[in-house]
Amino acid sequence: MEAEVIEAELVLPTYMSFKKIQMYDKYPKGQSRGRHWKHLKQILQAENYQNYSPDEPNYVNIESPPSMHPCKRICDITGFEAPYYDPRTNLRYANAEVFKLVRSLPNEYVQRYLALRNAAVVLK
Amino acid sequence: MPFTSKIERQTDYSDFPSSIPIVIDNGASYFRIGWAGESEPRVVFRNIVQRPRHKTTGETVTIVGDHDPALLKYFDCTRSGPRSAFDSDVVYQFEIMEYILDFAFDRLGANGSEIDHPILITECVCNPVQSRSKMAELLFETYGVPSVAFGVDAAFSYKYNQQLGVCDKDGLAICPGFSTIHVIPFVDGEPVYKGSCRTNVGGYHITDYLKQLLSLKFPQHMAKLTWEKVEDLKMEHCYIAPDYFSEAQVFQKGTKEAEDKTRCWQLPWVPPPTEEPPSEEEIARKAAIKERQGQRLREMAEAKRSSRINELENQLHGLDFLLQQLEQVEENDIPSFLATTGYVSKQEIEASISKATQSLRKAKGEQAEIEESSTGEKYPLIHIPDHMLSLEQLKEKKRQIFLKTTTEGRLRAKQKRAEEGLERERKNQQDEERRLENPELYLEQMRAKYKELSEKVEQRKRLKTNGGHTNGNNPCGGVGRGERLNAAQRERMRLLTTAAFDRGKGEDTFGAKDEDWQLYKLMSKDNDDDEDGLDADEVELTRISSRLQEVDPTFVPKQEVVPSQSAPELPRIRPLTKEDFQILLGVERFRCPEILFSPNWLGIDQVGLDEMAGVSIRRLPSKDPDLEEKLTSSILLTGGSCLFPGISERLEAGIRMIRPCGALIKVVRALDPILDAWRGAALYAADLQFLGQTFSKMDYYEKGEDWLRRYQFLYTL
Repeated sequence: MEAEVIEAELVLPTYMSFKKIQMYDKYPKGQSRGRHWKHLKQILQAENYQNYSPDEPNYVNIESPPSMHPCKRICDITGFEAPYYDPRTNLRYANAEVFKLVRSLPNEYVQRYLALRNAAVVLK
Repeated sequence: MPFTSKIERQTDYSDFPSSIPIVIDNGASYFRIGWAGESEPRVVFRNIVQRPRHKTTGETVTIVGDHDPALLKYFDCTRSGPRSAFDSDVVYQFEIMEYILDFAFDRLGANGSEIDHPILITECVCNPVQSRSKMAELLFETYGVPSVAFGVDAAFSYKYNQQLGVCDKDGLAICPGFSTIHVIPFVDGEPVYKGSCRTNVGGYHITDYLKQLLSLKFPQHMAKLTWEKVEDLKMEHCYIAPDYFSEAQVFQKGTKEAEDKTRCWQLPWVPPPTEEPPSEEEIARKAAIKERQGQRLREMAEAKRSSRINELENQLHGLDFLLQQLEQVEENDIPSFLATTGYVSKQEIEASISKATQSLRKAKGEQAEIEESSTGEKYPLIHIPDHMLSLEQLKEKKRQIFLKTTTEGRLRAKQKRAEEGLERERKNQQDEERRLENPELYLEQMRAKYKELSEKVEQRKRLKTNGGHTNGNNPCGGVGRGERLNAAQRERMRLLTTAAFDRGKGEDTFGAKDEDWQLYKLMSKDNDDDEDGLDADEVELTRISSRLQEVDPTFVPKQEVVPSQSAPELPRIRPLTKEDFQILLGVERFRCPEILFSPNWLGIDQVGLDEMAGVSIRRLPSKDPDLEEKLTSSILLTGGSCLFPGISERLEAGIRMIRPCGALIKVVRALDPILDAWRGAALYAADLQFLGQTFSKMDYYEKGEDWLRRYQFLYTL
């Protein structure tokens, strides 16, 4: 290990005196231990919130509802107000100039613009 | 720069008695740890872990937080990026969390056999009990912590600001954080989680949005747009527009104001060195070198030639001598004599002599003057009838006839060329005369003729290559089947395919008519008359253009519009300028943080910051207008993403829209939106009553999960 790396104490030491179980004991090397953690979705499922009173606040029911206001539509490319919508690419656009650009965009870029608002075509 | 890491190792860990709690603000973006009762956290770092491989030794190491990127050059970071233990503010990867805690306690100076201090750690609102119990377990089992308390960061921030008189005991805490926004109503100084709400948008999304937009806008500078850099750009330049669409209008119109608001990030760019024309000396020096080299080559060629002449002369002498000797030799001895020399016959020797003399003559630079000799001499066999000749002579005759016809053909061509030259000369002369008569008119005529001819030629070319579809000068258009072939080739392809298809079906009458066989003739011809060279128009065109170049100084011959088929058109290379290395932030400056108010721009169908306040108030159990009024008159903004300029005004305007007319609305920003949560927690933990709010390992195992679920902590002691 290079001197400057050691000096900056960049690397976390593997042994810590204040720990009762060291990292290498808990997660031994070379053993395939698979995934030992749950995704948030799995955690929430395991919480069984449906068994509790809906009046009790929990992680799921404090989530905000959808908005009541009409959605502000903006041009996907420029960010201006977008009165128009291109049915071929599904992009919203502000004016004729942007439309020209929209039609000249390669599909990859169109999909990336759509992915920004989670509207891209996802192949599974 | 509001966010900075502080990772120096503390040395006074052992000075603190074990009764003093350690306070941790475990935020999704930053981790802060320090001692209760102090005003600043001791250690602050980004809440991320990287596990790269060392490039030379190959061992996997753990790096917590952000360090000097220069030091990361020794590690191969391509396989694993920075990882966080969080998903939407909930800790779910406890292996990563353990690395982070290791690093934090280590930098705090811990050196005993366990962490013998009570711990107050923050979590998100309504943290799932699984995450909470895992965290408690980790602290108890691995670090030997005596007792633990969990609190909500936004609540600590609110309480801290309440104590400093910034907000009242009834109010709303609005906390736009790194991955979520929380709104928590406070009644009588206690948070009411029943009325809280969460939208899953935060600073992370803003940075990501900005990064994506910029890399779509400047794809050539994608590599420069690292996460850290974009985060810096966001913090430095982004702001919340008072009204999004009117601000966007300003930019759409492209007024002076918009120009002033556009920020420019100049990437490092060095102008390319301008090429200086070489000086006189340089030119002279180069010419001298060239001359010397030429001289040497000439000398070498001369030496080679003389040596060859020498060699040939020697050979000739040898052969002459051989012939003389041969004459002196007896008739009978000839075969044996020849056997020693290596030649088969006298004729062969003579043949080699003539060959050698010819080469010698050539080497000496004399013209082989055989051509001058008369045909009769050269082709003696031509006029002798066949029956008078032997088999060998017949063969010879055939050869001579062939030679004669080719030489004659060559002569004819030469004559024709000479005639053409004369004709051109004559035409030019006529032209010259006409020009001298009336130069103006002449030029005019020439130009008109040139134009007409060039158009004609061009059109023919276009027809040939594209068959009418003028798509050739469209470089970006896809090259389809039809565009690649010219009209004739396309026709041939059509014939081939139709022929192939016709064969299979129905009665086969092919070949019944003679015309059918013409098809093969058409098919076999690939390129009709493409290689026939220039036709008459083109010849005339070149003549006129050369003539025009002579007489008209302003004339520029038109460039070939249609590029040759084999070479694709090269993209026109424009020298790169300073402007090509600029990243401009215009609409992006307020478009990106606007997602806090319109999460549906990211496809997240939830209410934005302003509406959240209304949702939160609606969710409160008591519908008391006085209370609602109290809440809206003390709205505290805290959390990292409330640092955008203009956010308070915009929020106030937004809340005014959803509240009854004339309601009192006051939005204040926390004194320090980033550190107040930790400070509030530190202040809280310093109180003697704090220990009553913690629970120990014993409690945890005895009371069970259900108790932990309902575990809630009183913020008013």
